[in-house]
Amino acid sequence: MSATGRLPWAVAGLAGALFVGWAIAPESALYTQWLNGHRLLAIAAVLKLAYLLAGAACAFACRDHLEPGNPARPAWFLLSLGLLSTFAGQLCLAPFQIVFGKTPFPSVADIFYVLACPFLIAALLVFLNAYREAGLPLGSLLERGLLVAGVGVLAVVILRPVAATPGPLLDRILTIAYPALDLVLLVPLVLLLRMALRLRGDRAGEVWLLLLSGFVFLCAGDICFAYLQSLGEEHLDPFVHATFILGYALIAAGAERQLRILKS
Amino acid sequence: MTTTETVDAVVKLLAPHIGDTMARSATEAHCQKLGMAASSPPRPDQLDALLGKLGGGLNIFLGRDKSASVIGEVRQALTALEGKR
Repeated sequence: MSATGRLPWAVAGLAGALFVGWAIAPESALYTQWLNGHRLLAIAAVLKLAYLLAGAACAFACRDHLEPGNPARPAWFLLSLGLLSTFAGQLCLAPFQIVFGKTPFPSVADIFYVLACPFLIAALLVFLNAYREAGLPLGSLLERGLLVAGVGVLAVVILRPVAATPGPLLDRILTIAYPALDLVLLVPLVLLLRMALRLRGDRAGEVWLLLLSGFVFLCAGDICFAYLQSLGEEHLDPFVHATFILGYALIAAGAERQLRILKS
Repeated sequence: MTTTETVDAVVKLLAPHIGDTMARSATEAHCQKLGMAASSPPRPDQLDALLGKLGGGLNIFLGRDKSASVIGEVRQALTALEGKR
């Protein structure tokens, strides 16, 4: 990859480190003298918008490069819609974050964020079905049953403290909805991750490891966000930004790699 | 050319695109489903069916044109391997 091609991913790595550093050492000179909370929020807003737009554009271009009837074509389209809906949500928040240094919650942005989840879940399910139809091994019925049971246990562990927290009804619905939808996403995600590990060491494997690690970061971000909102764990805020920036960047990188394969 | 030799030749050409592990497991699974015994030479209709199945799988990762080109290379390699005998 050229130096120019590496730049967006180097920026994502640096941003991730910057926000993790903010969480670990918020009293250091970097975060008190040069970069205050308002500036960091503005940086996060701009980076998220850039990676989401790049990801949506690349995923749509992948759909465009696949012939009609290809089982992966609708999956790339659904992925681009999911990323575009997330972009619209982030676009609603960006003026507040950049101008006022605040993130209103709940807000109109949540409509787009919630809307994105079914698109992303559907995208992974369509990918999964396409690979199953192609004869790729996706695990036995028992393994899939164990996976669903594991996600169920995880759901109880994660959602119980969030659900038990008092607060306005809409806030509670949203803080439960995000991790709950992510847990639904986790089932096809784990099955696809298994497949991606078998693909490792080649170009298709690289695409899938990037895409799926991006989804893992998104799930982690939503869970951090739920805890932040419901349990008042403000110290998690920089981690939420870091996970979302890395998540969006990795998904965009995966879609870009796939596009490169399809164009080659 | 036995089925085992066919599988090795196919995997060598598919591995750069879908990885050695996936190439081998997908090819062996398709051979098994098509009733191709490891030590016997595959029939031409079995080979065609195998390449058709593998092409369908590759299509998802690489798109129709690239997939057709890779399957064309596999077909050429198998013909060359057969010609050496």
